[in-house]
Amino acid sequence: MIVDVGAPYRRRLEQALGDEAQRTAIERATARLSDQRTKALTTVDNPRLRDEARAIRQSAIQNLPSLLEELETNLTANGCQVHWARNAAEATSIVREIAEKSGTRRVVKSKSMVTEEIGLNEALENTGIDVVETDLGEYIIQLANEPPSHIIAPVIHKRVEDISELFQRELGMPPTDDPAVMCAAARQRLRRDFLGADMGISGCNFAIAETGTICIITNEGNGRMVTSMPRVYVAVAGMEKVIPTVEDAVLLWQAASRNATGQNVSVYFSISSGPRRSGHADGPEEMHVVLLDNGRSRMLERGYGDAALCIRCGACINACPVYREIGGHAYGRTPYNGPIGAVITPLLADDPTSYKELPYASSLCGICRDVCPVKIDLPRLLLDLRSDLVESGSTPRSERVAIRAYTRSVESPARFRRLQRLARIASRLPVLPPPLNKWARTREIPPVPAKSFQQLWSDKREADRGESGE
Amino acid sequence: MNSSMLDARTDILARLRRVLDDPRQMFRGPEDVRRPDVPMTVTRAEGDPLTLAKVFGENLEAVDGSYEIVADTGAVLKRILERVRLWEAESDQPQDSNGSKSREILSWDPDELPLPSIGQYLAEADVDLFVPDDLHDDADRKRAAAASIGLTGVDAAFAGTGSVVLAPSKGRSRAASLLPYRHIALVPMSAIYPTVEAWLSTLRREGRLGDFVRDSSQLAFITGPSKSADIELNLTLGVHGPKQIHAIVFDDRQ
Amino acid sequence: MVDALYPRVGQAAVDLLEKCGATVLVPEQQTCCGQPAFNAGYRHEARRMARHFVDVFAPLVETGEIDAIIAPSGSCVAMVKHFYQVLFAEPGHERDRDRAARLQPITYELTEYLVDVLGVERIDARYPGRLTYHACCHLLRELGVDDQPRKLLAATDGAEIVGLSGADECCGFGGLFAVKNAELSTAMGRRKARNIRESGADTVAMNDVSCMTHINGLLARESHGCRAVHIAEVLNGSVDGDAKRALADDS
Repeated sequence: MIVDVGAPYRRRLEQALGDEAQRTAIERATARLSDQRTKALTTVDNPRLRDEARAIRQSAIQNLPSLLEELETNLTANGCQVHWARNAAEATSIVREIAEKSGTRRVVKSKSMVTEEIGLNEALENTGIDVVETDLGEYIIQLANEPPSHIIAPVIHKRVEDISELFQRELGMPPTDDPAVMCAAARQRLRRDFLGADMGISGCNFAIAETGTICIITNEGNGRMVTSMPRVYVAVAGMEKVIPTVEDAVLLWQAASRNATGQNVSVYFSISSGPRRSGHADGPEEMHVVLLDNGRSRMLERGYGDAALCIRCGACINACPVYREIGGHAYGRTPYNGPIGAVITPLLADDPTSYKELPYASSLCGICRDVCPVKIDLPRLLLDLRSDLVESGSTPRSERVAIRAYTRSVESPARFRRLQRLARIASRLPVLPPPLNKWARTREIPPVPAKSFQQLWSDKREADRGESGE
Repeated sequence: MNSSMLDARTDILARLRRVLDDPRQMFRGPEDVRRPDVPMTVTRAEGDPLTLAKVFGENLEAVDGSYEIVADTGAVLKRILERVRLWEAESDQPQDSNGSKSREILSWDPDELPLPSIGQYLAEADVDLFVPDDLHDDADRKRAAAASIGLTGVDAAFAGTGSVVLAPSKGRSRAASLLPYRHIALVPMSAIYPTVEAWLSTLRREGRLGDFVRDSSQLAFITGPSKSADIELNLTLGVHGPKQIHAIVFDDRQ
Repeated sequence: MVDALYPRVGQAAVDLLEKCGATVLVPEQQTCCGQPAFNAGYRHEARRMARHFVDVFAPLVETGEIDAIIAPSGSCVAMVKHFYQVLFAEPGHERDRDRAARLQPITYELTEYLVDVLGVERIDARYPGRLTYHACCHLLRELGVDDQPRKLLAATDGAEIVGLSGADECCGFGGLFAVKNAELSTAMGRRKARNIRESGADTVAMNDVSCMTHINGLLARESHGCRAVHIAEVLNGSVDGDAKRALADDS
């Protein structure tokens, strides 16, 4: 991995912008995914789909407490154990306790950003439990000892050659760059893990309150494996994922599938409502659901309800011109990147000023808002976050001073004209003052004309008056 | 729930109620949205049962599944056997279980399959069905894992997306449609709905939807063979789930 | 920016409007709509600038002296039309909010006004050369203005309109982003410059001088031979087809 997610922001950007191989891989992949998405949306009434998806998600957030209670009641009635966690520490502690009580030595996981968010793998590994990521992309980055760089396509930053090399090294696979061969190698290895694991862990795409059901979307089949083969199944769910009805889940499933990869539906949609019933040949004997806060209530307290609507499709990430240049690891030690990540990573963090560069890592072009299946106004949220950072005094002092000076100049026309004269002088300096010097490193500065438009205009008016003999 | 978790539950719910009861601008769009009473039907399919069967098949094929519509119900058993033979002869077999291939088919209980006497018919052709009792038992698990073909019915099929849905029950293992490399799904035409939404609407109207989902322990919606595009967006089939799914559609109304 | 750096653009905008039958007034007290500060998160400062803007323009509207406010800039218009409501949303700013609200429906970007309000279908413009168009983000996505400038450009005599790959993609200016995230901004801009080169155009027209400055800044460093020109100058015929000569003139 070239980008060190633990490094400071500037360094991460530098590393990302310097990694041509990664940029090529990301550009190809995001362009392809975006094209597939566009195609898939031509065959549905997308404006209506977006309106309904948003209405479902928004009213769910507005009714969150009672929906969570309904979910809990129904999950419990189905034979599940429901756990509540205010933060990552509580959540990982709960899962560790379940593992201990059940004598779990080996865990298989399907792809889950929320478990990355709480650092679950590490917490389990620290107690000597073997954790195996089974989603192919997650499996690859686990072998490479890297974090995911995209919420849907965790290994989007790697090329075939990189992965082949990795499999040769870690799996003893003979050299090949045939993806089918590589997948077969992974399938064989992971099959043993599926069948031998004590516990399966998944995230949760949607939680249906009326039936007490945890829904997960996969394409590989590892979701079904993880939720069916081991004796214990633990689902970790961000508490904002709850929705009222089965029909809601089916609509959002289709919206998420089309927007994520351009598929009409994902290959598998596995919706689990409880442990196996008596007489069934398979299914978990215990099912646990961990409902996680970890900053979500704080997000709402700060007024960022839109951010809680996200259905984690990744369309904004694929569309983002910034993500295309820097990839996911540049956003730092967070599983959430791209436009939605730039918003929720700072919001979910304990310290609201950590990740303070992320809201500024955007040109506010607005394409993310255009593609979002639940119409989140991401540029507006970024602007709000920027305003919050300014209010909390977290922006550079030199910047505050410059903006204030500019404001004073702008409030009076006379001062504005003085500013323009200053600009003219400054533009002729061999070295520009910061922050303009950053501009000049890669770009020419336009010449500042002797007279501003307003001056020319008022000169002209005087001349006209002179001519007409006033 | 222990006391610290009770605290967590109380804290979280109280906090949410506090913030949501406070009238404030929480969303960057209209605050009062009306959720749809019944969400829209996203895909379209219509026609008589045979037309729906064709649409189902075409959509399944479009996502790399395969299908056949068997006009003569008497021939269905034969077609199943043919498919089994075809797949047995395939050179592409998984290295799943110590290289040893089993000739058994991991299956639903024959009584659960939509055709009478299928177990007997296949047995006479020297094709054995293995119906597991308990996949948490090592012997059953090993035996199930060795099968390279799975055979199931479906709870319903959906023309608009080429999907099927399977609910486990006694005699209907999850594993039969999940573990083997290849999966045969027997789809009677009476089980085909235009869309998932149409099926949900029927169950809802009959007051059965909630119980059906709750009691199922898991509903598996399956649309085509297992796929991954993680390796530089190259599409590969059969990553974990079956590499092939073949639907045999037949008219069961006679 | 137009005022201080590109007076010719301002003049071209005035000329175009007058050509199409409008009477143009340039209020001399105006300064800045406040967008740079707002974008950077400095709402208090942006509000002061916005208040000044409203102070200058509202009386003219109230007395009926003007019935529309035009800017040769998608981002400034978006600021007034969409973001002034955000700036004045807090309690205590009702008066400014109301005054701003009266300006919003009559504030237009230049090509938007020409086509949608004045009903102009073609301007008697001549442009000998290969021309392409870059869609500035605020104009395209905040204001939904895209057909109008393209239509006017297509009706320009003598011009060979060529397509631009990724015309809708952000050039990377983004306000303060251009200096706060200069390397990233440059990477995005270089991609735009590459697309412009591949289009074969000798001029790329656009509606915002902010994008234009950023793109020209990069094109000049790469000794491109193509340059970005404000659409007002293209439509007004105040641009010639010889890009290199004009580049030399500018420097």
